[in-house]
Amino acid sequence: MWDRKDAERLEQRIRLETDGTVTALSGKIDFGQGLRTAFAQLVADELDVPIERVNVVLGDTAQVPFDFGTFGSHSVAQETPRLRSAAAFARRQLLGRASARLRVPVDRLDTDSGAVIDRGGRRIPYVELLDGTPLAGPVPDEVPLMPEQRRRYAGQPLPRVEARDIVTGRATFVADVRLPGMLRGAMVRPPGRGAKLRSLNDAAARKMPGVVAVVRQGDVAGVVAERDDQARAAAATVEAEWHLVPVEGPSADVPMRSDPGVDARLAGASLRLAQTYVLPSIANAPIGPSAAVADVRTDGATMYVGTHRPFGVREQVAKTVGLPEDRVRVLPQITSGSYGRNSHADAAVEAAILSKGAGRPVLLQWTREEEFAWAPSRPEALLEVTAGLDADGRIVAWKYDEHTNVHTAAGLDPQVLSVTSGRNAIPPYAPFAAKVTLHIEPTRLRTANFRSLAAAENVFAIESFMDELALASRQEPLAFRLRHIDDPRLRRVVERVAELSGWGGASPPRHGRGIACTVYHDTYVAQVAEVEVAAPGQVRLLNVWCVVDPGETINPEGVRNQIEGGIQQSASWTLLEELLHRDGRVTTTGWDAYPIATFNDAPASIEVLVEGDATAPPTGVGEPGAVPTAAAIANAVFAACGARVRQLPLTRDRVRKATAS
Amino acid sequence: MKLALTVNGARRDVDVPPNATLLSVLRDDLALTATRFGCGRGQCGACFVIADGRAVASCLLTAEQAARMEITTVEGLATGNDLHPVQQAFVELDAMQCGYCTSGMLISAAALLARDPAPDEIAIRDALAGNLCRCGVYGRAIRAVQRAAG
Repeated sequence: MWDRKDAERLEQRIRLETDGTVTALSGKIDFGQGLRTAFAQLVADELDVPIERVNVVLGDTAQVPFDFGTFGSHSVAQETPRLRSAAAFARRQLLGRASARLRVPVDRLDTDSGAVIDRGGRRIPYVELLDGTPLAGPVPDEVPLMPEQRRRYAGQPLPRVEARDIVTGRATFVADVRLPGMLRGAMVRPPGRGAKLRSLNDAAARKMPGVVAVVRQGDVAGVVAERDDQARAAAATVEAEWHLVPVEGPSADVPMRSDPGVDARLAGASLRLAQTYVLPSIANAPIGPSAAVADVRTDGATMYVGTHRPFGVREQVAKTVGLPEDRVRVLPQITSGSYGRNSHADAAVEAAILSKGAGRPVLLQWTREEEFAWAPSRPEALLEVTAGLDADGRIVAWKYDEHTNVHTAAGLDPQVLSVTSGRNAIPPYAPFAAKVTLHIEPTRLRTANFRSLAAAENVFAIESFMDELALASRQEPLAFRLRHIDDPRLRRVVERVAELSGWGGASPPRHGRGIACTVYHDTYVAQVAEVEVAAPGQVRLLNVWCVVDPGETINPEGVRNQIEGGIQQSASWTLLEELLHRDGRVTTTGWDAYPIATFNDAPASIEVLVEGDATAPPTGVGEPGAVPTAAAIANAVFAACGARVRQLPLTRDRVRKATAS
Repeated sequence: MKLALTVNGARRDVDVPPNATLLSVLRDDLALTATRFGCGRGQCGACFVIADGRAVASCLLTAEQAARMEITTVEGLATGNDLHPVQQAFVELDAMQCGYCTSGMLISAAALLARDPAPDEIAIRDALAGNLCRCGVYGRAIRAVQRAAG
């Protein structure tokens, strides 16, 4: 569904340059997940070159193969086999060329660190085999890969290849791009989403210092000026008359699983429990608000952007400015992490309109207020779950209704909805009869992609409820889970996290530990959180232990960093975050009204053990770490003080009230 | 308005609109883009610079105010190819993900170590509490500052 199935072409994947470096190409985007590093590791191994010689180009639409987008923690899973095959194919071509030149059969040749060698000690550096003829051709389906014992980089914990550029300030983020003649833009914002622009009076704005153009295209209007503050000041003087048109998201009901006999089994169960869990809207809230640089000319356009979908941006910008797609080049830059927000090309499209109108390159930098007000947010969710247990304390029936708003613009096909807005609504436990239904409800808020889509919400409900079922049936939460786990890889991470955290040991007063687990796109994650609940209901996260199995692991240090970050971000969602809105408009304007975790909130330790099953294909780690954390913390709060809080965030008030009841 | 700033040890003459922020002058007039825009309200730390020894939000200072101070940005932390100890430690411990907030963290850490060469963990957390990170590298950053203090 996410991929075009064209045959891979070597020249779109691996380029041997005349200076002896290797360029590896991918349509995926690195927002800090460490993809650039992992891809360099893979290619250096298969092509047998030192990793320092590998440059990874990501997302440049003029160079890389088509890619649908960077989401779902699919990048390493999808790209590992492709980059490996392409690099191995490149190596075979080089061996073939050397064989012809040396008149030695290929099977008597080998490679060593960027050169072909023969048994007589002759050595031809790869670059000498180029002869002005680039490596090219369709990559065969089956290319023999480097034997595992000859891989030098895959599996090694390597620091990020961009790290030095980032700490010295040399890294160029989107808003750091400087082009000759570049101007700055500021938008004229409507009173609400989807408003129609009836009229515009820009007489005052045009006379303001530094103003070069006031641009309008359809319902989009903005000011272009020499300096950022000049553009903003002028935009504030533009008088626009708007016609508000109510915009409402879609609705749909999607049966995700409908085993027979659920109602009868619930009716006949020895123990029945029903609960409802509630999560608020939360903001992706990138530290760097949206930005884009557009250089739109009459014969073509170049876009410097942060995006999950470079080819999607190309299509949208081409349509917006009236150019054929092949005249638009999208050059993704290093970007503030946005955790899904940049699936939408808001700033890129606006910057393109401004640049076209002004006839000059334009940098558009959104303000923090604009980012909160106009970016999409993670939808609210209300999760209703009912389960029945038999006399032996085993789950026999499970009924689950997820009420939420649409999570992506991927479409309303029921199959798409189940794996996006309904992600992880089906529990990883067995065996029992289950009925799982996704209800997409309309909203006036703009909702869209946020790390793990609905998985974080569903797993909060499912894993909180597992603890509640265990309590109601007088079973220990870890043992209760293990009774319902068939999958050996899930069982292993759960058992290992229990060992790692010393599960079952005594806790000091008002301290508690909670466990939760999930399987997210074939990555297995189990976590234990330890909290302290101060007397008035204040939750402090003390420690988190996590065991993750992402299959074959390319860069264990990269995996740890991603999982730690996912846990830290999810702890912030769980304990602090709620986006305020009224009548479909976000009312939060700054960090003061949307506190996120700071250095002072970070737990003493987040210990991540990476235990990938090396026989299984590599899977993603960008999102799964964030998925079970909310439930682990909520379960820990219950263990600490007896407060079962079913609504996030776990504020002091909610915990205090739940303690009292 | 003509101003003479002292940035990273060098005098820099600029001609900027009155009330231009130090942040905009660094980024747009002096091409020092490692100091990043995050909120414009001094709430996130992405635009921190060292001004007369203290980490401050350059979005809240006017260039005119800054002209009376010694300003250090991330571009001025390293000495030639030798990274500042906090830069080195952040690289070694992979204490970054997207890197957008990293400049601000490095500035807070460098200012801290300049006044307290051996801070404890609480002092590190307090000194960096004004630097928001959404990717969640707080733990690694604390360990990196500890290593730099080493």
